[in-house]
Amino acid sequence: MTTVPLAPVRRWILRRQSAHRERGATLNSLYIGALTVAIVGGMLHRQLAEVFWPPHPDASGLAGASLTALCYGLLYLALRRFGPLALSRPAASWLLTAPVSRRSLLIPSLRIAGAVAAVLGALAGIAIVGHTAPRPVALPLLTAGGALLGLVLLLIAAAAQAGGRWGTAVDALMSLLFAAGFAGLVADTTLDQPVAVTAWPPAQTLVPLVAGVAVVVLVVLALVVRGLARTPSDHILDASRTAGTLFDAAFGIEPSFLTDMIERRYWAARRLRSVTLPSRLPVLVAQDLLLTLRRRRRLLWLVFGAAFPLLLGNAPAWILGAAVLLGALIAGMTATGNVRTDAGNAVLLRLLGLSSRQAVLQRLWIPGVLAALWSAAALTALDVLGDLPAGPWWALGLALGPVGAAAAVHRARAGFVRNDLLPLDTPMGTLSTGPLVNAVIGPDMLLLGLPALVEIAQGNPLSWTTVLVQAVVGVIGARAYLSGTTDTDRTELSR
Amino acid sequence: MEAVEVKSLYAGYGAAPVLEDVTLTVPTGQGVCVVGENGVGKSTLLRCVSGLQQVESGTITVFGGDPGATPEFWRAVVTTVEPPTWYPGLTAREHAELVCRAHGQDPAEAGIDEALERFGLARHADAIPPSLSSGQKQRLVLAIALLRPSSLLILDEPEQRLDREGRADVAALLADYLAGGGSLLMASHDDDFAIASGAAITTMESLSAVAG
Repeated sequence: MTTVPLAPVRRWILRRQSAHRERGATLNSLYIGALTVAIVGGMLHRQLAEVFWPPHPDASGLAGASLTALCYGLLYLALRRFGPLALSRPAASWLLTAPVSRRSLLIPSLRIAGAVAAVLGALAGIAIVGHTAPRPVALPLLTAGGALLGLVLLLIAAAAQAGGRWGTAVDALMSLLFAAGFAGLVADTTLDQPVAVTAWPPAQTLVPLVAGVAVVVLVVLALVVRGLARTPSDHILDASRTAGTLFDAAFGIEPSFLTDMIERRYWAARRLRSVTLPSRLPVLVAQDLLLTLRRRRRLLWLVFGAAFPLLLGNAPAWILGAAVLLGALIAGMTATGNVRTDAGNAVLLRLLGLSSRQAVLQRLWIPGVLAALWSAAALTALDVLGDLPAGPWWALGLALGPVGAAAAVHRARAGFVRNDLLPLDTPMGTLSTGPLVNAVIGPDMLLLGLPALVEIAQGNPLSWTTVLVQAVVGVIGARAYLSGTTDTDRTELSR
Repeated sequence: MEAVEVKSLYAGYGAAPVLEDVTLTVPTGQGVCVVGENGVGKSTLLRCVSGLQQVESGTITVFGGDPGATPEFWRAVVTTVEPPTWYPGLTAREHAELVCRAHGQDPAEAGIDEALERFGLARHADAIPPSLSSGQKQRLVLAIALLRPSSLLILDEPEQRLDREGRADVAALLADYLAGGGSLLMASHDDDFAIASGAAITTMESLSAVAG
């Protein structure tokens, strides 16, 4: 089959598009982008300097190594999730199916992904070395090294996208690396005397190393470009759909587009075997339990996440308390996929013939158990490894169960962002209130955890009275939420 | 008491009237099948009777009460007029079991496997419904609707996307349902199917005082 040259096609499309675009729209966008960067940079340059290049190194070697694993692991996983090679939706529909060279079709995407990976890699490299290495450090060499590492990850991700099953194995390995980095950071906060980095390799050692990596990157890049045409169409289509949904979510300020797509894809890729629902539990509780047990990997992340508040050891105590409450919400949200389905469309609730009160009451149980166990684990970890005053913190964690349950179920029932709410006029510009209002639906119920928050913020020893107060407030609050938002003579979850 | 009683019903979408002065009765224990061209308002009528669409004027009673959002109504009535949604991470068979258990049926005795087999879904019992074809999804909805206990079935073109054998099977199941004391209101394009299911055929025109 003859291949049609792509460049004239692209030029033709661009010309047609520019006919109905405002003259200078691209220049205008560039100007706005540059201005935003300048303003934000001007406002936050002190904080940014603190994040990327503090005056003195302030982290241990272990923290540096852990951050390396964490940042670059995350970069790789993000690249894989978004492609890394994707096309715009129109190009995926019209050009992917046309007899044009697949390689020249994908090269612009590789170029953009390469630029992003290099910039993010360089920024991560600067920040990590800035926090750990003794001065002086050759900054240009460091920037080049970080960017090269980003490119290496991109090339592996692109090859994994084009390749077979080994990609999944690399993904799992990178997830492990990410988890190990997280564990390292937690371990670092519990050490009394962290070991700082005292020696940094001299430029004579680093220059040949970076140059060597650069040569390898160039060679692999050439190989990847040669193999671009072999990237399977379905992988590119998947990535293009992700990119399109990402833009939809960003422009519509509707993150549920993205989360729903990720969820749909997850289940589409799973091979399930029908089981009998546990018969001793109420039917919807049994269903939620089944859904939760089928998401083992997410449960594993939750277990890991219970150590997250430990990283906030140096932050003010109220932030620590807020993090525990937010964690309880997130833990509860692991089991709210079903109530989200019911809130979006009550077809299945009608088929089940249950009242909204019965349904929501049953749907609160598993999120409640998850939130209770997570908070208990997080507070116990803080008690043992951190510096919480004495007291039965595990019990306070368990008492947060109803709070997490009510917040998670409320969040799942939030629905779409309302873009019909009045915008706020501020001196900085117009602020649309819909996304803000939507974002606090769910977290607002965490106010029921105020007794626990105050207790953690004050730093006094914990008494059983506080635990009891928290338990009573949580249960009464969840009960009030149930009777206030549901009815025994209505199936729909929303009024 | 009649299963469904519709009197002088007016309904439509915005300025466009779809149902004008429609009167319909479905006696308890019997079936009525509404036939007619696409767009004459069969589905709108079924939606109104299911309480899923606002009416402009007229009265609708189902078993003597208002059609509505109450759990009691939905324990008595099953409808397939809405496009179905599915729970995440739940297989086709588990959806059927969930519905049976919610109605207090013993899943082992409800005949779930036989129902899936009858609707040609036995091989797809472990699939998640969104991965099924549209025809398979419709058959799954129908299988679940017939599995759970109910007093009135409101079905919108149940014969669609079924092959000839499947149509005969479903018609026989509906006839059994009527024989067991259930009531049926459906819309269909297939007169033979309606006759086989034991439902009395009526046209949309004959229901409307204005069109008639």
